[in-house]
Amino acid sequence: MEIHPNCKWNSSCFRGVMVMEVERISGLKFHKKQDVAIVGAGMTTFKRRLNETGKELSYLAVKQALEEAEMELSDIEMVVMGSAPDAFDGLHMKGEYLLDGSGGSDRPYMRVFVGGGTGVFAPIAGYWHVASGLADVCLVVCEEKMSSSHPHPQSAFKYIWDPILDRPLNPNLIWIFALEMNRYMHVHNIKHEDIALVSVKNKANALDHPCAQLAEKITVEDVLNSEPMALPVRRLDVSPPSDGAAALIMVAPHIARQITDNPVWVTGVGWALDTTMWTNRDLYFPRYVAEAAKMAYKMAHITDPRKEIDVAEPYDPFDYKELHHMEGLGLAKKGEAPILTREGVTARDGDLPCSPSGGLLGVGNPIAATMGVKACELYWQLAYRAGKRQVAKEVTTGVCQAWGDLMQVGTVVVMSNKR
Amino acid sequence: MFNEKIVDPAELRHWGGKIELYWIYTSGEAGDRFFKALRDEGKFIAAKCKKCGRVYFPPRMYCEFDFSETEYQEISGKGRVRAYTVAWLDKDEKPLEKPEIYAIIDMEGTDGCMIHLLGEVEEDQVEIGMEVEPVLRDKSEREGTINDILYFKPS
Repeated sequence: MEIHPNCKWNSSCFRGVMVMEVERISGLKFHKKQDVAIVGAGMTTFKRRLNETGKELSYLAVKQALEEAEMELSDIEMVVMGSAPDAFDGLHMKGEYLLDGSGGSDRPYMRVFVGGGTGVFAPIAGYWHVASGLADVCLVVCEEKMSSSHPHPQSAFKYIWDPILDRPLNPNLIWIFALEMNRYMHVHNIKHEDIALVSVKNKANALDHPCAQLAEKITVEDVLNSEPMALPVRRLDVSPPSDGAAALIMVAPHIARQITDNPVWVTGVGWALDTTMWTNRDLYFPRYVAEAAKMAYKMAHITDPRKEIDVAEPYDPFDYKELHHMEGLGLAKKGEAPILTREGVTARDGDLPCSPSGGLLGVGNPIAATMGVKACELYWQLAYRAGKRQVAKEVTTGVCQAWGDLMQVGTVVVMSNKR
Repeated sequence: MFNEKIVDPAELRHWGGKIELYWIYTSGEAGDRFFKALRDEGKFIAAKCKKCGRVYFPPRMYCEFDFSETEYQEISGKGRVRAYTVAWLDKDEKPLEKPEIYAIIDMEGTDGCMIHLLGEVEEDQVEIGMEVEPVLRDKSEREGTINDILYFKPS
């Protein structure tokens, strides 16, 4: 390997192209004012097309979260809204548009978005509000109405690309995932059969989710024989576009005590973005997730995630992505996630249940609103409120994660039912 | 290099592009009630909060301030001018053939207002507080959109 003489990065370069190096975040300055608990969550049904407006969907999710926490809207001090590209709903300043259905009127209100990573980034922003002491009660709402966008929600993705280098090639977002999946399979010598098991597991888990769009009993053969989209990606490797909304309520310890004996604590948050020049990264490993996880684990004093994490909701818009993200989250060694899946470790009754909600593959993928199957589900699991979806093992600590932007952002939240 | 004055960016090496998307916006639960009543019966619907009594126009399925449910009720459709403007330029800043009067109309029996055109009135006759009533398109031409109301005229 030759070292490029002009490289300004603290990592090895190969003919000017950056090669994977981790170890970036060295220290973490972190002084919180107070701990943060989650005391309620809610979500709408996820469907390909819904009549309700985005405001109405947000309202329905918030109403449910308020009911679960036995709170009134007047108890809410600040509101965080998460919603991904404006191009889906077809409204510039979508955050402002969604305000009144999100309970944001006459309150400090902000919208955050990092593409697909928003579903876990919005609760991170909610965490800042409470941990900083600025608010004792913060409502986090996520909404996405992808069905408004035509000719297809996929069409909107064309405009996230570099207008000069990428867009003239008319890329479809599935292509780059196919390239990433191909690279992941090649580096670790993984078979499609092993990846398809994730789709089989998550769609079956979704049978127990009342909000699910694509809950189904399918087989590995069904996945391998489904319609080719951009090989190796086939139709059943992918989650669907959806409409939906989700909400959760984050509070300070003295408020949590008044509401419940069993709050779920947010013990760590982390987020990181890798370079936008996605072609210059080695796609086989999600470094952005690893960096985000490192930050969150450090905050949560987790040193061995594989041992200390009892349940996980890794982001699964594609079946290979759950595996990819498990490795980024340190829940499996590089290339080991498919083996754990094959051995049933990640099943709902396994030692490390992953996506017990049914995930995006089974419940649906309304981009930001997937908070409902990631952050909200983790809260429900740790609060023992997941009903039929409750994992078999005893749970104390869990992690949820999302991913997005130009395959470059990792967002991670660690929760625990012990303070 | 930042001192050079560029008049036409197309003289630079460049690529053209446009965002080729269109959207279908559903009117939602409350919007369905509102637009169907307007189209089919020429009626105006508002929604009253079951808790605080605030009456929303256009109607909503929820109260934005206490998140209670609402109940739908018919209103007259009449109102009063709360503010108005005489527009000389269109949405693309091109001159309009004839200036148009746009008003915020305080809807009778509600806590809400709507924006619409004023018609059958000259600009020097418009006053804040002036009573107005809606003029609807002929039933056969109504499509269930806000343009089923042609304009508001003095009543």
